[in-house]
Amino acid sequence: MTNRRHFLAGLAAASLAPVRGWASVGAPDYLAAALFPDGSYRLAGLDINGEILFTLPLPARGHAAAAHPYRAQAVAFARRPGTFAVVIDCTTGRETARLEAPKNRHFYGHGVFSANGNKLFTTENNFEAGEGVIGIWDSQSYTRLGEFPSGGVGPHDMRLMPDGQTLVVANGGIETHPDTGRSKLNLPVMRSRLSYLNLSGRVLEQVELPRAMHKNSIRHLCVRRDGLVGFAMQWQGETSQHPPLLGLHRQGDAPHLLSAPVADHSTLQGYAGSIAFAGDGQTVAITCPRGNALHRFTVDDGQLSGVFPLEDVCGLGPGTGGFVYTTGTGLVGRLRNGKAKTFAQPRCQWDNHLIPIRGPA
Amino acid sequence: MRTLALALALILPLHAHAQNHGPILTSTVETHVLPGFAVLSQATEALTQAAQTDCSPGSARLQAAYHTAFDSWISVSHLRFGPTEVQDRAFSLAFWPDTKGFTPKALSGLIASEDASVETPAEFAETSVAGRGFFALEQMLFDPKFTDQGAAPYRCALIQAIATDIDNNAHAIDADWAIYAITLTRPGESGPYRSEDEAMQELYRALTTGLEFTGDTRLGRPMGTFDRPRPNRAEARRSDRSLRHVELSLIALRDLAAHLSADYPGIAADLDAAFAKAIASAQSLDDPALAGVATPQGRFRVEALQQSINDIRAIASAELGPTLGINAGFNSLDGD
Repeated sequence: MTNRRHFLAGLAAASLAPVRGWASVGAPDYLAAALFPDGSYRLAGLDINGEILFTLPLPARGHAAAAHPYRAQAVAFARRPGTFAVVIDCTTGRETARLEAPKNRHFYGHGVFSANGNKLFTTENNFEAGEGVIGIWDSQSYTRLGEFPSGGVGPHDMRLMPDGQTLVVANGGIETHPDTGRSKLNLPVMRSRLSYLNLSGRVLEQVELPRAMHKNSIRHLCVRRDGLVGFAMQWQGETSQHPPLLGLHRQGDAPHLLSAPVADHSTLQGYAGSIAFAGDGQTVAITCPRGNALHRFTVDDGQLSGVFPLEDVCGLGPGTGGFVYTTGTGLVGRLRNGKAKTFAQPRCQWDNHLIPIRGPA
Repeated sequence: MRTLALALALILPLHAHAQNHGPILTSTVETHVLPGFAVLSQATEALTQAAQTDCSPGSARLQAAYHTAFDSWISVSHLRFGPTEVQDRAFSLAFWPDTKGFTPKALSGLIASEDASVETPAEFAETSVAGRGFFALEQMLFDPKFTDQGAAPYRCALIQAIATDIDNNAHAIDADWAIYAITLTRPGESGPYRSEDEAMQELYRALTTGLEFTGDTRLGRPMGTFDRPRPNRAEARRSDRSLRHVELSLIALRDLAAHLSADYPGIAADLDAAFAKAIASAQSLDDPALAGVATPQGRFRVEALQQSINDIRAIASAELGPTLGINAGFNSLDGD
């Protein structure tokens, strides 16, 4: 008995003591990449008030990042089809490791750590086969441990479910190849899926939209504490059609699609950039940089609960009682009690995503 | 002239909303869009007639009709919106690239089962897009793999069904454009374009995505990488049309660019000079199936052609787009 207690205490000390946590860098609440006025691409740590706590240089335009659950360490991904990701020690601002995609793979720009922080999972393209894979990396050495199929084509965003044992992957369905840049190669036959995989890569559940919506690319995700998944889509079909761009899904159920009435919804140009649940989990929102709007819905009844005009809005994360958003024009703002309020405007252009930093579970 | 164009580009976005795009919209639709689809539907009618008269793959008349009709499609294939996109018509006319070999699979499947859908156009139109359109017809006419697969009468019926389906799609697009043209030239709250700016954006996007497709996909796919060129991935290589598609699309896009930049002579001149250079480069290549990408010298020449297309794209996005009040935005790139 004593042995076991000592062992556990020792384990806790070993995993926590030697690492400096996020507190040492001012306890940022979010990470976001941006283009700064001097022309540099940087990763920034923001607090819940939009204050920039630190910025660190990136070698190229960033897209999203993954925050380590304990260590003040972030992995910043290049915009697709990037072949590297940079591991940054946020206490020193130094690059501590660099992930190089293996031959015939490139990153899609998103990744997630395991609950204990020991492994990093990355969405990647096996472009010769035109199939998605999830890369597995050791988070001490950042060496590659292996990979498994993502369950579809073009995996983009990926999240860890609250059970810590399940990955949910947005397989966007769009095939691309580095030889042809960002050209979409398979639109007439594309099939987007939400895939649930266990950490060994076994497919637990595949969710597809009805056939008429096969060109609705599921690209970004958010997960509520109770396991409800929100997904944001980008429509690749006729521009005269305006299918929903937001879906909710619970494992084992059918997906639920939400959209604003047509007058508002049709201005979004078929494009949602980010999705998040509010801090209290009662509402869910998508940002729509082409339509210059943020749309918010009540989760329980799926009803629209607010349309907020915001130029080039894209980054979105949970905030106290609401949301925090960033825009390509530099705004950091808060959405609470039905009001969007700007509280900072640093001179930079915020990139697509605002990454919440999870505290220790 | 260039300095003036750049100066205009810097000043004009502020006044973009005040621009009157009406005359440009009308001239683009009346002299670029509508005639293109009319020519296509005439050519596909000749194609289906040729297939009815003689369906043998070696028929000179059928092959000539195939080339003429395919030419007409490539010359409008950048107009990927409105009636062209309804019910996947554009993909049904041209399923390419075919990264996973769906076209030969679809054709072999139809032939092996002697699928009866070839007898009824409405049923054939419900079959996979991969087994229809110009690329399916190309394989039936030019790929030795299909010259003796299955029974000759069935192959004949399949060739005729593909030709009829192409013609039906081309006619449907042409007919619908007569109505759609009005929504594009006279935008309003009830239509797909609420303002002239939005209608201009659609045409501008057709220009930029057309250039992107020709540079990145038509050329980029066979180029592959220096260490691994992919000549077998060239578009319509079986009928030696790969380079021709590049040339025809550049000629069509040059005309569209001239319409869109008509009010800005400096930009119009810059674009036209860049197009002239790219078209001359394509015409001097003498490599119809782009097979030359497999050799270092051949690849360099194709690379130079691709670069000249990138130069046009740079002018379009740096000069024309901002002048027309079209801002790409920092965060709205597709797929991010």
